[in-house]
Amino acid sequence: ETLSVVGSWSGLPLHKNYEQPFWTEKLPAAAGDLDVSLTTHDQMGIGGGDVFRMLGDGVFDVGMTVADYAVADTPALEGLDVPMLADDADQAKKLVDAARPLVDDIYKDVFNAKVLGVAPYPPQVVFCNAEIGSLEDLKGKKVRASGRMTAKLLDALGAEGVNVSFGEVPGALQKGVVDCAVTGAGSGYSAGWWEVSTHLLPIPLGGWDPVVIAMNMDKWNSLSPELQQTVQTGVDQDLVAPAWTAAQGALETDIACLTGNGECPVGDAHEMTLVEPAEGDVATVREALTGTVLPDWSERVGAEWTARWNDTVGAAAGLTIE
Amino acid sequence: MIQPAPVPAAASDPAPAGRTVLLLRRINTGVALSAGALLMLTVAVTLYDVVARRLGGSLGGTDEISGYAMAIATAWGLSYALTELVHVRIDLIRARLTAGPRALMDLLSILTIAGVAMLVAVQGWGVLAKTFAHDARANTPLETPLWIPQILWWTGWLWFALSASILSLVALVAVARRDPEAVAAAAGIDEGAETAELPLHGEDDHRDDSGADRGTGQ
Amino acid sequence: MIWFTTVGLLGLLALSLPVGIVLFLLSVGLDVFFSPFPLMRGLGQVVWSSSNSATLIAIPFFVLLGEVLVRSNVAQRTYAALNTWVSWLPGGLTHANIATATMFSATSGSSVATAATVATVAMPQAEKLGYDQRLFSGAIAAGGTLGIMIPPSINLIVYGFLTETSIPQLFLAGLLPGLLLALLFMAVTVLICMIRPELGGPTARSTWGEKLASLKDLVPIFGLFLVVVGSIYAGLATPTEAAAVGVGIAFLIAGMQRALSLSMLREALLGTIRTTAMIMLVVIGAYVLNFVLTAAGVSRALTNLLNGLGFEALGMLLVIVLIYIVLGFFIETLSLMVATIPIVVPIIEQLGYDKVWFGILMILLVEMALITPPVGLNLYVVHSARRGGSFSDVMVGAIPYVLAMLVMAGALIAVPQIALLLPSIL
Ligand code: NA
Ligand code: NA
Repeated sequence: ETLSVVGSWSGLPLHKNYEQPFWTEKLPAAAGDLDVSLTTHDQMGIGGGDVFRMLGDGVFDVGMTVADYAVADTPALEGLDVPMLADDADQAKKLVDAARPLVDDIYKDVFNAKVLGVAPYPPQVVFCNAEIGSLEDLKGKKVRASGRMTAKLLDALGAEGVNVSFGEVPGALQKGVVDCAVTGAGSGYSAGWWEVSTHLLPIPLGGWDPVVIAMNMDKWNSLSPELQQTVQTGVDQDLVAPAWTAAQGALETDIACLTGNGECPVGDAHEMTLVEPAEGDVATVREALTGTVLPDWSERVGAEWTARWNDTVGAAAGLTIE
Repeated sequence: MIQPAPVPAAASDPAPAGRTVLLLRRINTGVALSAGALLMLTVAVTLYDVVARRLGGSLGGTDEISGYAMAIATAWGLSYALTELVHVRIDLIRARLTAGPRALMDLLSILTIAGVAMLVAVQGWGVLAKTFAHDARANTPLETPLWIPQILWWTGWLWFALSASILSLVALVAVARRDPEAVAAAAGIDEGAETAELPLHGEDDHRDDSGADRGTGQ
Repeated sequence: MIWFTTVGLLGLLALSLPVGIVLFLLSVGLDVFFSPFPLMRGLGQVVWSSSNSATLIAIPFFVLLGEVLVRSNVAQRTYAALNTWVSWLPGGLTHANIATATMFSATSGSSVATAATVATVAMPQAEKLGYDQRLFSGAIAAGGTLGIMIPPSINLIVYGFLTETSIPQLFLAGLLPGLLLALLFMAVTVLICMIRPELGGPTARSTWGEKLASLKDLVPIFGLFLVVVGSIYAGLATPTEAAAVGVGIAFLIAGMQRALSLSMLREALLGTIRTTAMIMLVVIGAYVLNFVLTAAGVSRALTNLLNGLGFEALGMLLVIVLIYIVLGFFIETLSLMVATIPIVVPIIEQLGYDKVWFGILMILLVEMALITPPVGLNLYVVHSARRGGSFSDVMVGAIPYVLAMLVMAGALIAVPQIALLLPSIL
């Protein structure tokens, strides 16, 4: 049996630490006769939004990428990663688990794919090259966000969403084209964003950016039940579980490395100002979410998906879309 | 191998092939001007956004729009570059051949362009079909319905495929008529002069000049 | 698979099929013969995604900028002014080519745009004054490559994007090597023309009065440079947006020269679309080939090759340089970067080299790829600005400058400070 696998960003720890060892070593060892070829969407030069479209067509067997990249084809998927609902990895995992039945249906219907698991990227936090003391201070600031729901949330919070392509963000931050930008704390550390920004607001304003691991449905159905079992168990135990375990620790380490508050085992610590989340921040965000962002989403996806979301993710997060 | 047709014969016989190429060239000039206008519009929107951002009123979404403009302008520009004969070809061997084999190379070239353009058009339809089926909208605050930019992009490739197919037919007919000048006009390589001046029937003496240069150059 | 690709590439190119089309055909062949997966089903998506790019739009912007400058005579006057300053050297106007290219490089982010602009203006002078066409056109093709070394630079933006390296730092790092390379090109020209004076054409001496009087013709281009680069450094615009700013300023200058007209606009836009489509067919074809090669596992082979060598840092670096020189013969520059960066840069980082420095070294190698046959876009751009003549003239003329680039690469490796000095002090 051969398996053609396309991973998430080649430069990030999720791929290097978990995807690569799992697909190229652990799974072939567990499955016996299995020839796996692994690459990533960035090395193939295809867009994140192309991955699951191609997966559905059988261009490769397994695709892993950020769910948010696929919401162009299915806005219902935005419900998997609503910003600011989870403060820590445990809570984020709880919400992802609650959303799994929805995600499974979406991938089956839209991408002809079987979901094997959902792994986290570290939460998407806020880097600012401007004095901020709380979420409140984002009002009127020019903020670069990726993803539609985060942009809408920023809008609702009174910030000005600015469109800057990913590669131009450091320059834009440094020169004041934007005041703030949202990305994973770890990527911000390794990409040197601490050089061009001063304040770090460690709240998941961009959500947790969950990565969906899915297999082409025809391929899945063609596997023997034993092999299906081996793959599913392997993904659960050797890919998804360790990635979640590492997620929470990673955020603490990354914050320490960026701000110098604590031990930084991966390199030099830097001196960004850590902005502690203020008392009212969570309430402000929840109000923006329930008042504007989620009703807007609900209108786009219709009553059925709204109801399903309310019963699952909403229930787990203690939110209801009216 | 075909023999080069005597030039006077070709010149005294204004083939419909020449008219087809001229017409296509004219249409594609119009197409290219529209694509150029789209670029100018994108420049204007970008400049507006640069200024507006300073004044606190960013449009948002300019780089999204730039991307669409790039895809659309490129797709439609392809057929203009085709009729202008400027798609890069390596003429190390071709330049050393006589008119007959050269015409065969030109024919092969335009046939492969047509083939590839059709393949992209067919596969490109798959992209558009998925977009329609999913009612896909850009993952941005603009929520652009993707079928709008994609249909403009896809029809550009379709037109490229059609242009190349027409030129293939012209070149095929010209090869059958042993008229290498006509093949070169439909599918040759722009020799560096303004293409508008390129002869379609060999009556322009500029082409003869460059041919002479080439001859003495080797 | 590697043999299939290499032989197929050479064979199809020899048949004089369009370079972009050859890349598509090879992709189809690789899919049919080497991949169990229906890779061509992804073709439409790759073509859409690779051309739907806000980064690539800088290409038509910079080309348009050059077209407007040429059609408003600003480019010609800049050329004439520089001529009075540099043509006393052995090699005469050839130096003006390099100097003009260097100046344009500072406003243009694209080597092809730079070469196109200079070639359009300069090639008629060669014919008028009886210069050796080979050296003359080679100098333009080589000088044009500076467009991506001296900031702004589309390729440095792409590098920064893919490697998460600071683009302002990269721009600073490219400045000194770019200027040194321009000087090296001039030195090579002097050397050749001292050995073979008949290649250099007549040298012309200008009085100081003429030289000073010519300075006013440098004002518009200097103003353009200030606004484009200034808008980036003042935080008014991103590098891509700065290209649009440059177009706006170019139109403003053209208006001030009373050169704006509908027919001028028409010609400028047609020229822009022609060049853009020509480049983009190759770029898209290269993306498709890269997609197929990666999906079929060639990148894995390359990674294994590099990891399996077990060389020390310097040995590994030299192998990587060699690979870029060889790939640079055949692969279009942007795709060469996109395809190899995710493989090579992590290795370079592991070896302990600086990412900013390597970016500059890579740009230098990519510049070389622009003027090595068979796939060397600058050669074609310059050739297309000539009226007739053989393509091999341009190719041969570029060889001395390729050698100069190799010397420069050696210098960059021996003295990394050439690139890293400015970023470290500014
Ligand atoms: Na430049
Ligand atoms: Na080359």
